[in-house]
Amino acid sequence: MSTQETQERLELLQGTLDLLILRTLIFGPRHGQGIARAIQETSEEELLVEHGALYPALQRLEQRAWISAKWGVSSNNRKARFYSLTAAGRKQLVRETTKWKRLSKAIARILGSEAAEG
Amino acid sequence: MFGRKRKLDDFTDEIEAHLQLEIERLREQGLNEEDARASARRTFGNVTRARETFYESGRWVSWDRFWQDLRFGLRMLRKTPGFTVMAIVTLGLGIGANTAIFSVVNALLLKNLPYAHPERMGTIYMRTTGPQASNERRNVDGEQWELLRAEVPSLLCAVSSMGTSGVNLQAGYQVQYLHAGRVSAHYFDVLGLQPVLGRNFSEDEDRPHGPKTAVLSYGLWRTTFGADRNVLGQAMLLKGEAYTIIGVLPQNATTPLNAELYTALQARPDGEGQGTNFEPIARLRDDATWQQANAEMNRALARSLRVQNFLKNNPGAERAYYLVPLQTSETNTLRPQVLALMLAAGFILLIACANLAGLTLVRMLRRTGEIATRLALGASPWQIQRQLWIENLLLALLGGAVGIEVGFLALRGLLLLLPEHFLPVATVPLDGRVLAFTLLLTLMTSILFGMLPAFTTRKVDLRSSIASRTVIGARTVRLRQALIAGEIALTVVLLAAAGLLIRTLIHLETMPPGFHPGGVITAKASLDEVRYHDPAAFRKLLDESLASMREIPGVENAALGLTLPYERALINGVFLRDGKESGQGVETNEVYVTPGYFETLQIAVVAGRAFTNADSPDTVEVVVVNQSLARRLFHGADPLGRYLKRDNKDVLIVGVVADTVLSSAGELHAGSAPLTSEETIYVPAAQMDAQFLLLVHSFFQPSWIVRTASPVEGLTAQMQRALAKADPNLPFSGFYDMKDLMAATLATQRMEVALLAAMASLALLLSAVGVFALVANMVVQKTREIGIRMALGSTVGQAMLQIGRSGVAASLLGVILGLVFSAWALRVMKGVLYGISVYDVPTMATVVLTLVLVTLLATILPILKIAKIDPANTLREE
Repeated sequence: MSTQETQERLELLQGTLDLLILRTLIFGPRHGQGIARAIQETSEEELLVEHGALYPALQRLEQRAWISAKWGVSSNNRKARFYSLTAAGRKQLVRETTKWKRLSKAIARILGSEAAEG
Repeated sequence: MFGRKRKLDDFTDEIEAHLQLEIERLREQGLNEEDARASARRTFGNVTRARETFYESGRWVSWDRFWQDLRFGLRMLRKTPGFTVMAIVTLGLGIGANTAIFSVVNALLLKNLPYAHPERMGTIYMRTTGPQASNERRNVDGEQWELLRAEVPSLLCAVSSMGTSGVNLQAGYQVQYLHAGRVSAHYFDVLGLQPVLGRNFSEDEDRPHGPKTAVLSYGLWRTTFGADRNVLGQAMLLKGEAYTIIGVLPQNATTPLNAELYTALQARPDGEGQGTNFEPIARLRDDATWQQANAEMNRALARSLRVQNFLKNNPGAERAYYLVPLQTSETNTLRPQVLALMLAAGFILLIACANLAGLTLVRMLRRTGEIATRLALGASPWQIQRQLWIENLLLALLGGAVGIEVGFLALRGLLLLLPEHFLPVATVPLDGRVLAFTLLLTLMTSILFGMLPAFTTRKVDLRSSIASRTVIGARTVRLRQALIAGEIALTVVLLAAAGLLIRTLIHLETMPPGFHPGGVITAKASLDEVRYHDPAAFRKLLDESLASMREIPGVENAALGLTLPYERALINGVFLRDGKESGQGVETNEVYVTPGYFETLQIAVVAGRAFTNADSPDTVEVVVVNQSLARRLFHGADPLGRYLKRDNKDVLIVGVVADTVLSSAGELHAGSAPLTSEETIYVPAAQMDAQFLLLVHSFFQPSWIVRTASPVEGLTAQMQRALAKADPNLPFSGFYDMKDLMAATLATQRMEVALLAAMASLALLLSAVGVFALVANMVVQKTREIGIRMALGSTVGQAMLQIGRSGVAASLLGVILGLVFSAWALRVMKGVLYGISVYDVPTMATVVLTLVLVTLLATILPILKIAKIDPANTLREE
């Protein structure tokens, strides 16, 4: 499944992809490919996102009405489906971010210096 | 979840756009087209899988799953063919019974009568308040008819004779007996019927002594006139007179009379018009309202002598006439019976559902393991429920399909059972409405029988269910017993109702007839003929034909009477001439007879003498009364030698005869049984005057009666020949023995009995199946327990008792419930029971005994299996 190129990258923890998508959309509507690229670039190419895996997540979020979607035109004049954050999605993002920060802090505390070194 | 689902195409477009955007980005980074494409695909991963994931979350899947559940359901049903067949047959019978009866309800009460704008057609009802209160459909007399015709501008009114009467039609050389109706002008206009050939009766043709014209039914035109389009204007010999054919009615045209041929009524205020002998029917004119019509009609009829005399003789009473839609009045008498049948059919469906609920419950419990496994593998409770409901629906639909077939056959049988023209509609179709009803019923049954098992499976406990093998708990058994008790209770009601009707029929059929019905054959002929308007010709015909019939070898006696026992008789009034009640009148049945009548029918002469040949037009007018009339008139005093006033002439009572049974259709006494022994006066045929003969022969066709000691070969042909010797142009309408006459009078009762008995038998069968299934199931479920008990020293008998008790207990509870329910519900039958009361002990005892026997049979058959249980084997099986 994975290729040479992506092997060294980190695999995403379950449930974190939703959070990342919501976070990415905070700066405005983006299409699927844009979201995928943004996650990769902001994480400085550390995170492995198989683009195809993005779509079930997008669909899930859309069904929960955290994001909405409509067809539009991209910067280079291509038709693309643009996703944007809804009010409910914004709330969810705050909730999930807080939770995530507490979780990572707790994990960092347990793993201690090793984690700091890493 | 929100709004409509996305299409798969839209998603594919999005992925395509994604890939293109990625390719363009990579190209910008300097990759060539081919590498960019490959890299973009690589980064994306598996496109097909992404599409599949999308597809599965879409609505397509629910269809797929539905089909999957459906196929699974079918497989499950095929795996248990016994259950499936039983369920489908049970449902088919239940739904079929309902479909058949509902077709009748539909045709009678829901569909319009087969006339144009039937909602604007009405019949006349009369409401009387005061001591003689009544509220019923009424006919009018000649004067009232004239008032209706002249003074009610809101209505187009017409009248007809009451029913048809037999007449002789001679076309060419052939004479045939047929049923003719007499109708006024505009009768067919009121019905909205336009002849296919010719025209309707004109007002001129409807005047007394107007030209004699006739309108043919389509059937008669086809059979007797060979569908000849030139019949119009042709003359035919009807009742011995020339009538001109002026029209032919369309095919399948129905009228309330349903005659084969129609002549103009030519109503007069005197003679026939003195009595309420005309049946009115009206159509509301286009710009009129029912209120207007009622007001006008009420005002017009209030002026009639009949109403004024009534009000004079009954001070304080009030009388009002009003119109009732034809649909209502035509179906009024049948409505309670039809609705009662619908109720009975509903009971059957409930019983079928109760049975199925029990069976499905057991089936579901047997599948607890399967359900628990599916739950453990991640199926949601909703998925399990959906699966179960789909199976229920499947069963119901299959049952419904069988039900339509059964209903169709049952309806055909039912219509064969009905006497001709019993229903006021020509056809009883299985139309869209009936099919819709059946479908609705089917869906309802699936809910009714599926509810209980579905609720039970919602409480499946995963841990205990997967482990345990015995799934039938005490609670379930009690539930099933309650279902059985319920269905037995309904069966008791149906059986009791059928039983009461059967007892009524037996009572009516075994009423002491007052004569000897065996060895008698009768034949009717119409004497509504010009040549028999003369009493001398009439007497000559009787003398000659009866003499010829007495000469037939084997014939003991022959006679003639206007009507026969079991038949409806003419109603006439007689008055006391002397004594302190002088002048008081009594309505009575009246029959003219020839001297041999009492002897031929073997009616006992209790006092005085029968008529003799010496009673002629030239001698004193004599009458014979039956015992009921003698009692009514003289309260036990000797009637012989007393005089009565009949048709304003003094008549001498010379004899008293035993009461005979006769039809109460003449409505001498309201609400009497269809067969009664009412007051009857007999008058000698030879002393009847021309006016009387003319009148009665237009209503009644006299019967020739022949008694033989033993069956005579070719008797009917010889009777016809004997009649032909006296008059070659007089056909008999047919030959009947006394059983035929009784059957004709009791046709309604017989039909009610047949239908209700069929329904009750079906209910009994279904209940027996229910008890059988319960017990048989217990035996299977408890085989191991019984084995253990037997190993521990219990006997086979004890084990049988223990299991059998469940069925018997349920059944007994049902019987008790049913008796309580019957005591309350069957009171509505009071009006159709004769000779017995609603609380008829023999009937109830028979019902209880029947159910006890059936229950025992249904219990014993399955528990016999217990004897075959080998404790050692059962224990080893574990």
